[in-house]
Amino acid sequence: MSYKERSIWASLAILIYIWFEYFSGMNQLYGSQKLTVDSINELLLDAVIMTIVLEILLQIVIAIIDHKDANYDEDERDKLITLHGCNNAYYFLLVGAHLAVFYSVFPTLKTYILPSIDLPNGYFVMHLIIIFALLSEIIRLATQIRYYRRGF
Amino acid sequence: MSKVITNNIRRLRFDFDEMTQKVLADAISVSRQTVVAIEKGKYSPSLEVAFKIADVFNTSLDKVFQYQEIDE
Repeated sequence: MSYKERSIWASLAILIYIWFEYFSGMNQLYGSQKLTVDSINELLLDAVIMTIVLEILLQIVIAIIDHKDANYDEDERDKLITLHGCNNAYYFLLVGAHLAVFYSVFPTLKTYILPSIDLPNGYFVMHLIIIFALLSEIIRLATQIRYYRRGF
Repeated sequence: MSKVITNNIRRLRFDFDEMTQKVLADAISVSRQTVVAIEKGKYSPSLEVAFKIADVFNTSLDKVFQYQEIDE
């Protein structure tokens, strides 16, 4: 497994772990009727800080393990695989952007989708964007892994 | 019948004093994994990298890469 592939696996694992924690935390708060703007902000800040810290730590560990290739620049195949990953993720992100705009135009949709959650509308739009950005990132990384594994 | 790009890189490396994939990769400024992918026919390199490979083996491009029909 190449340095680049290891790095992608690490990013994917961090992404899934952190955001799973975030949404399960939100679910717990919702279950205990403690879902407020402040508690969401706290969870969000934790998720962002944890992502940065874990990403730095894991990339350092990978660089120590595979120190020969740590300074390796992307070659043309890496760039092409990155491009395909971004291309696939873009379409999904585009769907999310359109849904966020649609929701902003028709905020009353909230009463049909999540009537029991009492949060400002901006938080619903924000979470719509977070979910689609997250899924796009997973698609981007998974596409890259697929091409590295199966060949390109 | 369809046409695919095949290559003789493995044989050329062997003929070239059993050159390792790593040495070839460093000579053409790509990763060893990219050389592996090219050798296995899983990745078709750019024209620039193809010429660099031919240059490393002091041969012409058509001796390294062929575009030929294969049985499916």
